[in-house]
Amino acid sequence: MMFDVIVRNFSYLMGGLWITFQLSFFALLGGIGLGMLVGLGRLSKNPWIYYPTTIYVNLLRNIPLILVIFWFYFVMPVISGKSMDPFIAAVIAFVVFEATYFGEIFRAGYQTISKDLIAASYSTGMSYWQTSRYILIPIAFKRMMPSLITQAIVTFQDTSLAFVIGLPELVRRSSIVDNMEVRSIELYGFAALVYFIVCYIGSQISLYYENQARKVNLI
Amino acid sequence: MNLAYEFDWSVLWRDPYGLMLIKGLGMTIFLGSCAWIIAMVVGILVGTLRITKYRTLRFAGTFYVEFFRNIPLLVQMFFWFYAAPMLFGETLSRQINRLDYLAIYVSILGLGLYTASRIAEHLRAGFASIGQDQYQAVLSTGLSQLQMYRYVIIPYALRLAIPPITAEFLTVFKNTSIVMTIGVAELTFQSYQIDADTFHGLEATTGAMLIYLALGMTIVKFMDVIEKKYKIQGLVGR
Amino acid sequence: MIEIKNISKWFGDFQVLADVDETINKGKAVVICGPSGSGKSTLLRCVNGLEPFQKGEVLVDGISVGDPKTNLYKLREKIGMVFQRFELYPHMTAVENIMLAPMKVRGWSKDQARAKADELLKRVDMTERTESYPANLSGGQQQRIAIARSLAMEPSYMMFDEPTSALDPEMIKEVLEVMIELAKAGMTMLCVTHEMGFAKEVADEIIFMDEGRIVERGTYDNFFNNPQTDRAKTFLSQILD
Repeated sequence: MMFDVIVRNFSYLMGGLWITFQLSFFALLGGIGLGMLVGLGRLSKNPWIYYPTTIYVNLLRNIPLILVIFWFYFVMPVISGKSMDPFIAAVIAFVVFEATYFGEIFRAGYQTISKDLIAASYSTGMSYWQTSRYILIPIAFKRMMPSLITQAIVTFQDTSLAFVIGLPELVRRSSIVDNMEVRSIELYGFAALVYFIVCYIGSQISLYYENQARKVNLI
Repeated sequence: MNLAYEFDWSVLWRDPYGLMLIKGLGMTIFLGSCAWIIAMVVGILVGTLRITKYRTLRFAGTFYVEFFRNIPLLVQMFFWFYAAPMLFGETLSRQINRLDYLAIYVSILGLGLYTASRIAEHLRAGFASIGQDQYQAVLSTGLSQLQMYRYVIIPYALRLAIPPITAEFLTVFKNTSIVMTIGVAELTFQSYQIDADTFHGLEATTGAMLIYLALGMTIVKFMDVIEKKYKIQGLVGR
Repeated sequence: MIEIKNISKWFGDFQVLADVDETINKGKAVVICGPSGSGKSTLLRCVNGLEPFQKGEVLVDGISVGDPKTNLYKLREKIGMVFQRFELYPHMTAVENIMLAPMKVRGWSKDQARAKADELLKRVDMTERTESYPANLSGGQQQRIAIARSLAMEPSYMMFDEPTSALDPEMIKEVLEVMIELAKAGMTMLCVTHEMGFAKEVADEIIFMDEGRIVERGTYDNFFNNPQTDRAKTFLSQILD
């Protein structure tokens, strides 16, 4: 077992990690943003919003992410007429998929907020969207921070699945080097280590927030 | 909207493609079930390790869980499939790589071990919600530590952990799709294959989605039955 | 003027309000009392459209609350509401709580809102600890901030839903003082409360509700010293203990 293969290809592999981070960034941006709305939709009294949202969430909970990635990869050319940039297809797939999980987290967060707090906001003349934007969402965000971070870590790991549409993220690049040099142990071990470090740090951050919230007893 | 694309939904049923999807479904169910068995056995074992008195055992259990939960399943699969055989020295690894169904064995093992870590975690949460007093009450009736764990604590924690564990049951079938990356012909792989042959991937993957949906709904119904049967009366449930 | 015209409300089969009819003229302070579950809180929430009602009509300055075409948000700017559990936004400081609505609903600048907030804080006697978060304030302080928050939108009417019920006895006085000052300054008020001392001081009319109906109404003296109905008599004897 010689780790020189890692050293030699280090910048190439790190380039893959950079793409992984980019994927994760956009996936999280879109997933959390859409998730905020999905959470609201799941609590809506308007049936035109509640039912489609609920169907969407329950539909995607049954389908593997890989298939969702493929589906968007195939659907985009049909709609746009040209061949699809795999990065964009992947981001869209991740956003649509992860938003269901973030949506459920936000929904749980919204439900911890007392009805009277919302009533108080309405009583000052604020509209539904203003109340959601300044009261509901910020409070839920703070309260659900540990769960949000945990799900963000899951999303970060999920980006590895962009492998299947050829995206040159870390795992794909590891396998490309592996095809050339057949040093699977070092290469996949290295990829595993990188993920482990990032995710472990993330989970420690999540724990920190959990303990903080417990101390302050964030109401 | 560009509709120069011509839909061909018959890929879902005409020969040989319709059969491919069904075969894929069969493989998915097979993989998921086998992996689940491993997951339950190993998961309960590891989960129990984490609550024993011995620090080393607890650490081993925690390490197991942290290892599997911080590395993407895809990377794990690749490691087991490509890298692990090489750990066995020249001759053995060559033999392993020649195995006919290596990919399938690796899939079941990898998926099983991964899912086991999640079950262990759910079990730990279940254990954590059993109060100290319960342990003392059991010990005071004269049972030994081992007996206490075997006859009271573990079954109790298992039943507490049933809701998240049944959710995990659904997840394991979804996760089988990962093994398409090492060439196992489960459902997602087949839908991708149909695209490779016919360039009608949209129809194929949509069909696969519907099949997963049907599979998921069946499993959820099954989960509901199990949950109802094993639910502990009087505790806050759904 | 608030006109509540014969409204009735059901939650499923259960009738929460039955033929409630009352007019509150400008400048008047009306106190609503009664046993719990009598529909007092629900009545308040029907007035500002937080709760729907099935029968009857509520008119605020001539605008019908139940009319689907009515812009309830605009209407609620006119009616301030104070809640039993204060309901301050936990993620904002006291001042920010007060400043939020004027800035977002009326489009005031930060300075304008700040000036208004300072003025109101003085009025409710909360000049220190204005940058604190609600979690660090006492119940009495929180409730006074809540009152200031409602006043920031310069409402024509103020509704109070058991504003002192969640307070420790030492803090009830400071909140009641603010409310009394408001009433004496001419604010039209609708208060659900058990604080009879407050009622005695400022109430122009007392309404006694039981099981969703107005059972008795009158001036403080009439109600207190000469209750007509048995239910009123029972209630009074209970709260006087």
